[in-house]
Amino acid sequence: MNHEHVHDESHEGHADAQPGGLASERRPGELAFTIVLVAFSGFLLWEAYGISGFEALSGPGAIPMATTFVMLVSAVILLFKAARLKLTADETFMVDITPPLVLVLAAFLVVYGLLLKPLGFLPTSALFLVASIKILARRSWGFTITVGLGSLLLIYLIFRIVFSVLIPAGIIPEAEIIQFFRNLFAGGA
Amino acid sequence: MKKFVIGAVSALSLMTSAAIAQDYPTKEIQGIIQWGAGGSTDTVMRAVTPHAEDVLGGTVVMQNMTGGVGAIALNHVANEDADGYKLLMGAENPLLYKVMGLGDKDYSDFVPINILARGTAILVANNDAPFDDYAGMMAYIAENPGELRIGSTGPGGLPSVVTAMIETVEGELDVISIPYDGDGPALTALQGGAIDVMPAVLGASIEAIKAGNMKPLAIMDTTANEYLPGVPAVTDFNEGFATYLPWGPFFGVFVKQGTDEAIVSKLQGAYAEAATNQDFVDLMASRGFTLMNISGDEAQSFLTKWQQGTSWLLQDAGLTKASPEEFGIARPGE
Amino acid sequence: MDAFLAFFTIFTHLELLLLVGLGTFAGVYVGAIPGLSVTMAVSILISFTFSWDVLPAISLMIGIYMGGVYGGSRTAILLNIPGAPSAIATALDGYPMAQRGEAGEAIGTTTVMSFFGGLIGIGVLALLAPFVSDFALKFQPRDYMLLAVLGILLVGSLSSGSLIKGIFAGAFGIAIGAVGMDPLTFTERFTFDIPLMRGGINFIAVMIGMFGVSEALMQLHHVNKDAVRQQINRIVPSFGTIKKYLPLSLQTSSLGVIIGALPGTGGDIAALMAYDHAKRVTKNPERPFGEGAMEGLVAPETANNAAVGGAFIPMMTLGIPGDAVTAIMIGALFIHGLNPGPMLMIEKPDMFWFIVGALVCANFFMLLFGLTGIKLFTKIVEMPRAVLIPLILLLSIVGAYAVNNSITDVYWMLGFGVIGYMMRHYGYPLGPVILGVILSRLLDDNWRRAIISEREDLGRFFHGIFTSPLSLVLFMAVVLIFVSQTPLWTKFRKKESS
Repeated sequence: MNHEHVHDESHEGHADAQPGGLASERRPGELAFTIVLVAFSGFLLWEAYGISGFEALSGPGAIPMATTFVMLVSAVILLFKAARLKLTADETFMVDITPPLVLVLAAFLVVYGLLLKPLGFLPTSALFLVASIKILARRSWGFTITVGLGSLLLIYLIFRIVFSVLIPAGIIPEAEIIQFFRNLFAGGA
Repeated sequence: MKKFVIGAVSALSLMTSAAIAQDYPTKEIQGIIQWGAGGSTDTVMRAVTPHAEDVLGGTVVMQNMTGGVGAIALNHVANEDADGYKLLMGAENPLLYKVMGLGDKDYSDFVPINILARGTAILVANNDAPFDDYAGMMAYIAENPGELRIGSTGPGGLPSVVTAMIETVEGELDVISIPYDGDGPALTALQGGAIDVMPAVLGASIEAIKAGNMKPLAIMDTTANEYLPGVPAVTDFNEGFATYLPWGPFFGVFVKQGTDEAIVSKLQGAYAEAATNQDFVDLMASRGFTLMNISGDEAQSFLTKWQQGTSWLLQDAGLTKASPEEFGIARPGE
Repeated sequence: MDAFLAFFTIFTHLELLLLVGLGTFAGVYVGAIPGLSVTMAVSILISFTFSWDVLPAISLMIGIYMGGVYGGSRTAILLNIPGAPSAIATALDGYPMAQRGEAGEAIGTTTVMSFFGGLIGIGVLALLAPFVSDFALKFQPRDYMLLAVLGILLVGSLSSGSLIKGIFAGAFGIAIGAVGMDPLTFTERFTFDIPLMRGGINFIAVMIGMFGVSEALMQLHHVNKDAVRQQINRIVPSFGTIKKYLPLSLQTSSLGVIIGALPGTGGDIAALMAYDHAKRVTKNPERPFGEGAMEGLVAPETANNAAVGGAFIPMMTLGIPGDAVTAIMIGALFIHGLNPGPMLMIEKPDMFWFIVGALVCANFFMLLFGLTGIKLFTKIVEMPRAVLIPLILLLSIVGAYAVNNSITDVYWMLGFGVIGYMMRHYGYPLGPVILGVILSRLLDDNWRRAIISEREDLGRFFHGIFTSPLSLVLFMAVVLIFVSQTPLWTKFRKKESS
């Protein structure tokens, strides 16, 4: 077995029209993923049956049952196909599917989701951008903070000021600050 | 000493609440519109609010939050602080949530700022329908059971209430009820012949009626309408409807129960003045809506009466999921 | 004939001309940023332009609309993240081109073709509006259902890997679209008694997660690889190129106008159908579809811009919105004291011609802004990935939040990002998922309406199909496309089992 790992990008899919995956071998984790799909489809089919059963062709559960049935059948076929394939020898789950960087960024996103409401949009996003740019780029703190906060400011201006999207304020009373500036301009005009 | 502390604290809280109301609004007020962009509720709210902003001296950012027949928006506002910075801009639907099993909150969790306007229902038919008025439609249904296709917008929507009213007055109707997700798509389908008859709000159909793209059968009111003279009131065909009329959907602005009274009255003042703006009055007239502009006790008793009448009408027609009794909604006249 | 002179109003009033230009410019960026939608921008403009006169307000809105529909293609080509649902098909061949360093050429062609499609749409609006709206009204629930089935058959051309994986993805999408309270009967579907799920899953959140987050996570695999250098010397396609795609773009533009004019379907479905059409009629593409075929760019971009003119057709002739944006514009016209409806064309024909003029004008601005500033845009993809990836993630979060001001949507978006990431790794195409979500309601609602109209009688349902010429044509198309995919299917099966 060749232990020197060569990363082959063709498995990842460059665009949606060229999906990844291997045609003749099974990628690590593929079998488990397919099993999850089968279980999930079965569960949804059961749920869909519970909506209105076989009450009427026009029932609210008719199309959900039909589609979840298609999901289940196709997932079962895919499971058989996946089970017949040989596991590929030159890929491992932790390297090719979920390398450390992906796990770290995914963890960042989870933390972001948890902090968004209590802390508010601006501090959470600043932390997220600075931390992830630092980890990915490994450049100086000066670069990291300038790029991170600069782009955050731009996004904030577009969404908050131009499009009036009321993002969670959290600990910074940004709505009051904006109003203050509005009054200032209104007073000056 | 104790008395003094209590006195001081209450004085302080009074002062701060007065101060809060005085400064209000210190930031943008958010207006959550229960229905999608471009719909009747949306148009009414976007037309009146800028005038209210002028009176308030603040900004109201309006956002559409759709889903669950408006329940998503209602619950969203109900779960926020009662600080006067979230307005609920809605229609009549929440008053039926409890009996229709759509949620456990309704406008009783809110304070009405202003009930702006009321709509009138009208029965319209496709131009090729083999009848020209309400009596003709009833005769057609009697002769062709199970053939007439009536549009609906789901249980609790205006068409279902109108249909319930007709069934209460005339007895069971053997028709096909075809559901649409709003009166706009249903009226489009009516013009294309996918449905034959549609109970709709006057404002949504008035332009198409004037252009001759659909024909009016009867106004669901006790008198003919000034915007559409010549179309008979449904009571001209059957006096029995008088018990339930006038009835119609409405639009209102609300804040969460528990909002500082001074803020409530400031908002009420702003919307009351905004609703008298000539542009808004003209817009309401052109859409066939009856301007109401009521608040306070008057609005509250309007809501109570509306909820009682409509809930029991639906209950008696067997369309509810739970009896109005369970929620302490009294039968009208009791 | 005097009314027709209103067509020139926009060109003779500098202020209006500038507003259309400004709107188009802003629209390109609104369209390019996932989560900022034209619908949202136009809603905000209603409040913003409240005190204005009606003409400047409409000019600005039309500019945003035109620019926005076009702008969605930018991020689709450069980042594989469609800025709007109508640009999903554009990513299929646009992104592979950007990966070869041909982003400039891709954007240039897209721009010229969008312009062309836009003009066709406006032309049909100006000349044939009453006929088209009559035709659009003829569509019964049965026909909308057949149209949805036709759309679902596109799964075949959107999944170039394993067809079964594509079918799974498509069905999954339809199921996602059914989540929430059923709008017809208020029955809860797949809500698991969680009140927040009653509102359903916002499909923009699904799209941003599936394309934005999963793409960002995918890029993490090669953070340190240099970005592809983009050559931007060939932007404007040669006349020969345009001439070559002329027949195709005429077909896909006509498709776009009709789908756009139907109330209930819009540019997103039009673009996907056009992509499928291109794949079907193009015998020998210079490059295979999915690897950077020009036809794969031309078709969806002509169709979605032609759909703009189409959407105005029922709006101007009947007061019926052709899509979400025209629905808001109808509201805006009301607020400005006009009565959009069937009488508008008769009472105020000058308004019609003014709008046509503004659309033409916006179309030219789109061409102008589309062909300039490409350098700036391509710089985005040349940014170091270490900076680009966190930015894409943050933009995805803000975008998903902005759609409905809901943190729940952000969680959905992240969840679908992870699902999309795993699906990509195991060779599941993501396009069919979005296709399923888009078509879910169209299929479900209209199937139920159709079968209720026939009193639950399948015999009567099929009798209806065979006695209505329109239904019959659609039904034949469904059968034809289904059959044409069958040998393909066996080919795929062979490929998979080998």
